[in-house]
Amino acid sequence: MAVTYLVWQSPYATNQLLTRDQPVPFSHAHHVGDLGIDCRMCHTGVEKAAFAGVPSTHICMTCHSQLWTNAAMLAPVRKSYATGQPIRWRRVNRVPDYVFFDHSIHIAKGVGCSTCHGPVQNMALMRAQEPLTMGWCLQCHRHPERYVRPKDRVFDMAWQPPPDQRSEGARLVKAYRIDAARLTDCSTCHR
Amino acid sequence: MPPLTRRGPGLDRRLLLKLAAAAAAVSTTRCSPPDDEIIPYVDMPEGMVAGEPMRFATTLSLSGYGRGFIAIAVDGRPIKIEGNPRHPYSLGATDVFAEAEILSLYDPGRSSVVHHGEQIATWEDFAAGWEQAVGARPDDAASDAAVGLVTGRVVSPTTLGRIEALRRRFPALRQYRYEPVNDDMARAGAKLAFGRLVAAAPRWDEADVVLTLDADPLGHGPEQLHIARGFAARRGAEHRQQLHAVEPAWTLTGAAADFRLPLAPRQMGEVARAVARRLGLDLGDPVLSDPQRAFAERAAEALATAQGRALAMAGDGQPPELHALCHWINGRLHAPVDYLPPVDPVEAGHADELQALAEDLRAGRVAALVIVDANPVYDAPDALRMAEAVAAAPFSAHLGLYPDETAQHCQWRLPLSHPLESWGDARAADGTASLVQPLIRRLYDTRTCDEFLALLALSAVRDAYGLTRETWASWAGGDFATWWRTALHDGVIADSRAAPLALSPARPTGLPPPDAPHALTVVLSPDPGVWDGRFAANPWLQECPHPLTKQVWGNAVRLAPGDAARAGIADEDTVDLVVNGATLSGPAVVTEAQADGVVAVGWGQGRFSPAMPIAHGVGTRFVGLGARPFSRLLAGAEIKKSDRSIPFRSTQSHTRLSGRSEALFQLATLAELATSRPEREPAPPSMLGIPPRGDYAWAMVIDTDACIGCNACVVACQAENNVPIVGPEEISQGRDMHWLRVDVYARPQGGAMRTGFQPVPCMHCELAPCEPVCPVEASVHDHEGLNVQVYNRCIGTRFCEANCPYKVRRFNWFAYADGQAYGDFAPALKAQHNPDVSARGRGVMEKCNYCLQRISRARRAAEKEDRQVAEGEMVTACQAACPTRAIHFGDLNSETSDVSRLRRAPRHYRLLEELNTRPRTTYLKRLYVSDAAS
Repeated sequence: MAVTYLVWQSPYATNQLLTRDQPVPFSHAHHVGDLGIDCRMCHTGVEKAAFAGVPSTHICMTCHSQLWTNAAMLAPVRKSYATGQPIRWRRVNRVPDYVFFDHSIHIAKGVGCSTCHGPVQNMALMRAQEPLTMGWCLQCHRHPERYVRPKDRVFDMAWQPPPDQRSEGARLVKAYRIDAARLTDCSTCHR
Repeated sequence: MPPLTRRGPGLDRRLLLKLAAAAAAVSTTRCSPPDDEIIPYVDMPEGMVAGEPMRFATTLSLSGYGRGFIAIAVDGRPIKIEGNPRHPYSLGATDVFAEAEILSLYDPGRSSVVHHGEQIATWEDFAAGWEQAVGARPDDAASDAAVGLVTGRVVSPTTLGRIEALRRRFPALRQYRYEPVNDDMARAGAKLAFGRLVAAAPRWDEADVVLTLDADPLGHGPEQLHIARGFAARRGAEHRQQLHAVEPAWTLTGAAADFRLPLAPRQMGEVARAVARRLGLDLGDPVLSDPQRAFAERAAEALATAQGRALAMAGDGQPPELHALCHWINGRLHAPVDYLPPVDPVEAGHADELQALAEDLRAGRVAALVIVDANPVYDAPDALRMAEAVAAAPFSAHLGLYPDETAQHCQWRLPLSHPLESWGDARAADGTASLVQPLIRRLYDTRTCDEFLALLALSAVRDAYGLTRETWASWAGGDFATWWRTALHDGVIADSRAAPLALSPARPTGLPPPDAPHALTVVLSPDPGVWDGRFAANPWLQECPHPLTKQVWGNAVRLAPGDAARAGIADEDTVDLVVNGATLSGPAVVTEAQADGVVAVGWGQGRFSPAMPIAHGVGTRFVGLGARPFSRLLAGAEIKKSDRSIPFRSTQSHTRLSGRSEALFQLATLAELATSRPEREPAPPSMLGIPPRGDYAWAMVIDTDACIGCNACVVACQAENNVPIVGPEEISQGRDMHWLRVDVYARPQGGAMRTGFQPVPCMHCELAPCEPVCPVEASVHDHEGLNVQVYNRCIGTRFCEANCPYKVRRFNWFAYADGQAYGDFAPALKAQHNPDVSARGRGVMEKCNYCLQRISRARRAAEKEDRQVAEGEMVTACQAACPTRAIHFGDLNSETSDVSRLRRAPRHYRLLEELNTRPRTTYLKRLYVSDAAS
């Protein structure tokens, strides 16, 4: 039983830390780390909706109609824009169908991007930093004070918990009116 | 005694566990989630947020008349129809038909390609065929060869314009306009009374007393939403309207009435005679028995003493003379009725038109027959032999949503666009115009009615968008772009309702004496689920229980107990109904308080097109009876027990509750209510711990006095919550899946039959019996008082279902949502699913969760703005649908909320209160004006 449980929880089954090939070798390391582009430039739905949103080809082309216009690596983007056929990205972070995750409410409550997505600014190709299992989610849903950060640092990729995170987090949980008891209701995520 | 432990070699527990663990570990080698893709837009439409619902106002038609709604789309897929509060006629509610349209859109049984005979063809082929057909016979006014156009009721300005354009090309064009559910009698009555065609539009909310004579204004139809809202405004204890209903068989109006008299249809005029006499018009002595006379005189007295606030109305089955007399009565009473110019411009009667079609076809007077969204082969009585007549036309084409009976007999079968894929317009029954806008690109290569007519007329503009804009450009005048955007956004065209006419009072007309009594009279009415048959292919509507008999997937023969006993027929026996030599069979339902000598049957079932697998062979086609089309009354019928056996499938068995119904469905008269005191919160002790209250305490209060049993909530719940269809075989096993059922009660009390409807969703008990029995804690409470079902935990023991005293839990015996015959039989259907709600798998329990996804959405929206969810912000799907606003939902933590206020009301009660479950769903008692016998 223990073996089974360990296998189920292991990166082997969860695809944690698995870096996936993509139709366009888009580098977060370059765009976020080197250039410092904000997450919301491309993930437009992240503050408004459940789905953060993968950028439309149009968004790529706002820059790349001016920059690297002939780069071979961007050929699929230009082709998509010309033909109207979307780019088919491979999903990296996945939760099961019966989990209804909403990006916007996490952003609004002071959960930073890097808390779940890891150091995206260092990833050339994207990988799932965390296992995204229910047990992993519950670490925060049970003790949000360990992870919550000030709202103005949500998109700060370099944010690290301060030494007084326990007390600071507890203060933020109160200030942001996070009801920790409610967070572990099944109906918070499943319906 | 053998030893308790088995010795010797074999599997012991430890080894078994080891092997199981190894097997499970091995099985995880295929356990990682499959590769998934994310496909973003190339260019995202402005204002769109992926995965978020968008709302668009549009119009759906029923029997030609438009009703305004809001359609919700997620990522470009329409998933739900909601009411449009801005529409002055529909008033923000929905009906069963509108809710079910969303399924029709994705129906894999829809016509999707052009057929010429059995060959697949193209629209270009059809256009060439058409030109050849009409070109070969040049249309000459002198020639009797002409184009025949068959339509339903057309009130859309654009379609009327297209018909005019077609007439310009073919001056000899003959339009046959008929609607199976029509107002022929009312129109003839208005002509008798006023000398011209007018439509009476009662201002229901202004009436203190209403008398209906074989009329069902609260029943289904294009006017239901409007009338039901007016009715609801005058329900409850204050300013209550008195409703006197005289009817041969139960209708929704009769079930809602304060006083109801079952009476043979031929005697309806006698009640009117009594009322007329009270108002000073002597039309002879009414032929009524003493109790009937007492009823009529009480109604007459109530009407006469409510001058200016009383009205009488006659039903579609009653003769024109009775309609005319009701107009006279209303004139005399200064009744709150508007007289509007008719919205339907065709003068001829519907039945006459269908009859003329059959005659003209048979006489060869139609050279090219074009049928647009009508189904005469099914609708016409057998006596007209319509199939033969249609097949005899030299050229015939049928444009329709389905390959229906008529399409089977036409040379060209053409696919029609669904309204949710169409541009267009429509008018409501009072003339209010609104636009039809598409929410999705056409799923198949289909055409709208307007586009099709433009193709036939060789018009310059051929697309529905252009045609619709062309119609309204002249109406709007000035700034058309702004006007158009406003009309689309609001879902209504401002000031388009017809102005009421100033008419001189109706002439007093005579009333013929009642016919001699017949042995049996058949009363026909449209089906509350499949209507005149046009929704028969929609499984949501097939599986939506009949409001009164709870029958699904079929139609019944409703008999009065006396007639049934005389013929030796028991409930659910199959009965043969013989009318004019034709025999039709159906399961019998013996109904208390149905007029003696009346057999009630519904239209719409018994579809026989082999190309419509869902509808084919369900129920019996009673519309085929009679010599004239759409006869609502057929005299001289016989019944006998049949040799055949047709199953009666229903979701609520007829049970005599032996005294318990008083507690379950509670009644009060106005006098009792005035003396009763508000109940106190009961707090008997319990061994179960009460779950702690969080920021919200959601609760629902259902007003059984306002509920008219229309079923809109049932189908709304189905659409919102991805509730699957199980099909007739499973229903026969007692396995329906509706999260919300509407129980119907009828019990004799004080010499009258007390009836009513009780919608039963999950009670969300604070001390829920389902919770302690679940071995895996799949049935648990959350902090907002919801009793939630965790599908991914559920292992299907069904203990919770057994322990639920309200029987609101539903079990997926099979994979109803996926792979079952009536479930998900085409990929297109998956697009209908609400992405905010899990699709449940086999072996999982499910039930109402107060539209948890909507609560969650409202809570998240509020929390993002750092505020509480406001009163009225969270609306469940059933509540949104309800045309009488019988369902209230809100937060008990707020003392001032609607539900808190209603829970303190004197007519508030709990279902099965003695069980101390402390339900969050509670009820308001059904009221009666007095306990006088009817």
